[in-house]
Amino acid sequence: MLGSLLTLVFVLVFNFFLFRVVQTDPIGSLFRGRNVPQEVLDELRDEFGLDESQLTQFAYYVRETAQLNFGISYQSRQPVWDEIVSAVPATVTLVGISSILSAVIGTIGGIVAAWRRNTWKDHSITSGTMVFYSMPDFWLGMILLVIFAVVLGWFPVGGMVDIGSTETGLARLLDQAHHLFLPALTLTLAYLGEYTLVTRSSLLDVMGEDYLTVARAKGLRDAMVRNRHAVPNALLPVVTLAAINLGFVLSGAIAVEAVYSWPGLGKATADAIRGPDLPMLQGLFLLFSAAVILFNLLADLTYAWLDPRVEGA
Amino acid sequence: MTSLAMARRRATAARVWGQFRRSRQGMIGLGVLAVFALVALAAPLLADVRDLNPVFARAEGNAQWASPFDHPPLGTDYIRRSVWAQFVWGSRVSLFVGLAATVLTVLIGSVIGIVAGYLGGRSDGALMRVTEWFLVIPFLPLAIVLASVLGRSVWIIIFVIGITSWPSTARLVRAQVLTVKQRLFVDRARSLGAKGSHIVAHHVLPNVSGLILANATLAVPISILTETTLSFLGLGDPSSASWGKTLEEAFVNGAMVRNAWWYFIPAGFGILVVVLAFTLIGRTLEEIANPRLSRAR
Amino acid sequence: MSEPLLSVRDLHITYATHDGSRVPAVRGVSFEIDAGGSMGLAGESGCGKSTLANSLLRLLPVGTEVTGEVVLGGKNVLSLNPGGLRAVRWTSGAIVFQGALHALNPVQAVGRQIAEPMLVHDTASSEQAARRRTVELLGRVGLPGARADSYPHELSGGQRQRVLIAMALACDPLLLIADEPTTALDLMVQAQVLALLDELKQERNLTLLFITHDLSVLTYACQRLAIMYAGRIVEEGPSWEVFGEAAHPYTRGLAAAFPTIGDLSSRMAPAGLAGDPPTPGNLPQGCPFNPRCPLAQDGCRDAEPELRIAGPERRAACILV
Repeated sequence: MLGSLLTLVFVLVFNFFLFRVVQTDPIGSLFRGRNVPQEVLDELRDEFGLDESQLTQFAYYVRETAQLNFGISYQSRQPVWDEIVSAVPATVTLVGISSILSAVIGTIGGIVAAWRRNTWKDHSITSGTMVFYSMPDFWLGMILLVIFAVVLGWFPVGGMVDIGSTETGLARLLDQAHHLFLPALTLTLAYLGEYTLVTRSSLLDVMGEDYLTVARAKGLRDAMVRNRHAVPNALLPVVTLAAINLGFVLSGAIAVEAVYSWPGLGKATADAIRGPDLPMLQGLFLLFSAAVILFNLLADLTYAWLDPRVEGA
Repeated sequence: MTSLAMARRRATAARVWGQFRRSRQGMIGLGVLAVFALVALAAPLLADVRDLNPVFARAEGNAQWASPFDHPPLGTDYIRRSVWAQFVWGSRVSLFVGLAATVLTVLIGSVIGIVAGYLGGRSDGALMRVTEWFLVIPFLPLAIVLASVLGRSVWIIIFVIGITSWPSTARLVRAQVLTVKQRLFVDRARSLGAKGSHIVAHHVLPNVSGLILANATLAVPISILTETTLSFLGLGDPSSASWGKTLEEAFVNGAMVRNAWWYFIPAGFGILVVVLAFTLIGRTLEEIANPRLSRAR
Repeated sequence: MSEPLLSVRDLHITYATHDGSRVPAVRGVSFEIDAGGSMGLAGESGCGKSTLANSLLRLLPVGTEVTGEVVLGGKNVLSLNPGGLRAVRWTSGAIVFQGALHALNPVQAVGRQIAEPMLVHDTASSEQAARRRTVELLGRVGLPGARADSYPHELSGGQRQRVLIAMALACDPLLLIADEPTTALDLMVQAQVLALLDELKQERNLTLLFITHDLSVLTYACQRLAIMYAGRIVEEGPSWEVFGEAAHPYTRGLAAAFPTIGDLSSRMAPAGLAGDPPTPGNLPQGCPFNPRCPLAQDGCRDAEPELRIAGPERRAACILV
């Protein structure tokens, strides 16, 4: 717990100083290309304490961050916080659904591969997922986009809803789902591999254990031995993996969102890079780090709760 | 190094190679990698570097967006450049950055891992704290942030990848060093009066190097994929033509909407195959270093 | 005389290893146990006794070749279809495994693991009935009923062994196979576990097959004794006779390796067996014991000796008999 807090502090410090390296004149950059009288600039500098020492500036930074004031985006001139918040639902939907699907499908694949080790089922599952795992996820996205959206026309080419759509309610939801399909498929295929490999190797470890022979000796069917005794023991590392991956829900789809123009945090990051919109990048980075730190902590707690052999948290 | 020690090193290398040769996955990986290494090295012979220059391409009379049927072998892009030339010359950059970044990663990670493992105590604690911090921070956002702030050049990309990827190597190496430290011969060497540096060089390193090699080989795919993603997002070196850059240009200039599949398929395919090759080789080396793994797999 | 409860005839078991070679672990074993009787099976590691024990309920890895007959309660276990086999397991014969931490599922409470076979075989009418019976069984093996909710790692070695005994009794089996139940326990606890097994055997008229490398334990617990070496039985007979007046040189060596408590001379001059047992894939010519045998002769290398009569109800596989 303390460790997580320290890490967060470290991230804050890092974030602050890193951007200070480049932002020699934040006020000037903010009003780039606009005709603003010098006194106004000076006044703003004074207000933001830019003439003060680094330490004082850092104190201001911490205070502002605590108040969720991340500054103003260069590109949109809107508060960074507002931009971020409006992008969160789209990312959570996309990456959330993909994470669940990939975890479920990947784990089942890993179970089948391990239980039927060294058969064609195992080899095809293992090789298939290795191939998907070895390609750039956005490249897979590009291919799927071309085949299913451009050539076949079954799905839209990008965005979250049809442009200029005024539909509401169920119709709008269906439209969003239609747009969600390809990016979600891309991410699911890309994330599958991790779950398959981890589940498979964990189950293989468990399969050598004596208590499975004991279960068979008691007269249980093969499937019962697998589901009641082998899998619960094998799932512990997988659950930890899933909990950790939750932390990456926010930052997991940067390139894929860019390919599909999905209006989430990933696309916001990709756009911010092209600026470079430094306040946005700073805010996004802080958010991404905080999410990972938080979910790592949750993962540790979950594991301790699930495995009766581990003492408390 | 004494001749006895050298002979031992050679024998170990021969044994490892013998085991490697017998592994089908290892030899396939090595074969594929050899092909791509040849392509990268023989680039000048395979494709004219001038084909990468849009002015030259225009002068040659190339069409824009020509398909491979019209302009073999891989067609042209939005400014008439040969895609084949980009593929061949891009392999150089992607492979080079992947390898260099990995060397940096493994260097930093190994040094920190060895120092932490060998010294123990407070130095170990402090170094491990730092390692944990880096492990928890999301890797790609960190790389993006660093690259955005530091600039766009091949060397900066290499630096960024190295600086963000070293923690897992450090953890692995440290664990192995701790195991080695337990063994008696280190104590014996110390009681014989051997200095720390000597112990590290002659006892710790040889026992850790197998693991480091396997880990390095598995780290190359991560470096290559990271460089590709960073380039795709626009953080790559504008003057160099890596496969990631090709993908970025294809995307930004509408290759997908035009169904110019010849423009973006080869680069991605190259990455896929090279990454797979390194993964297969790395898994084989892992199994050789730790025979338990091959039975478990 | 009624049919013996367990009758093993000409059992051959060959493992297939991952590099394709075949390892003969059991090479033609035959023996019988009458209902209510008790038989001990002793031998060093690698002689095939655990393989034999697991084969009685067909628990060996897929791909292992098993030929011969194992007739338990009138049915040949080796020829049963999967459904029949599952029905026979735990109800006709149950195994008390070695109580190391690995024989119990670490993430399930022990009570659930004891109750499981009752529910699978429908010997308990409901979950509550199974639970009641579990608590009863735990009490019978000397553990408080509350222990049903403990996890394996919360119990001591001796407690875990008792749980395994309780679990083996869950479906009232006819035959109880105890596979090294006292190895890994300290002497005090060993004695308690042996006493418990003896009591249970008397109460329920259990037939017992006791497998171990510790001869002294067997002479206490079993009527008959069989000694295994290199995949075969080399001596068989009433336990006190086999232990006290061994007909086979190997048995003599084994018996002498265990010091007699109270006898100072045996402590001062331990008389063990030199050398190691042969690896199953690499047996010596002729009698597999001849390289280590103090009485080996030329004829010993010619052919492997069959079991010969060495007394009333006794057999031994040595040319000197």
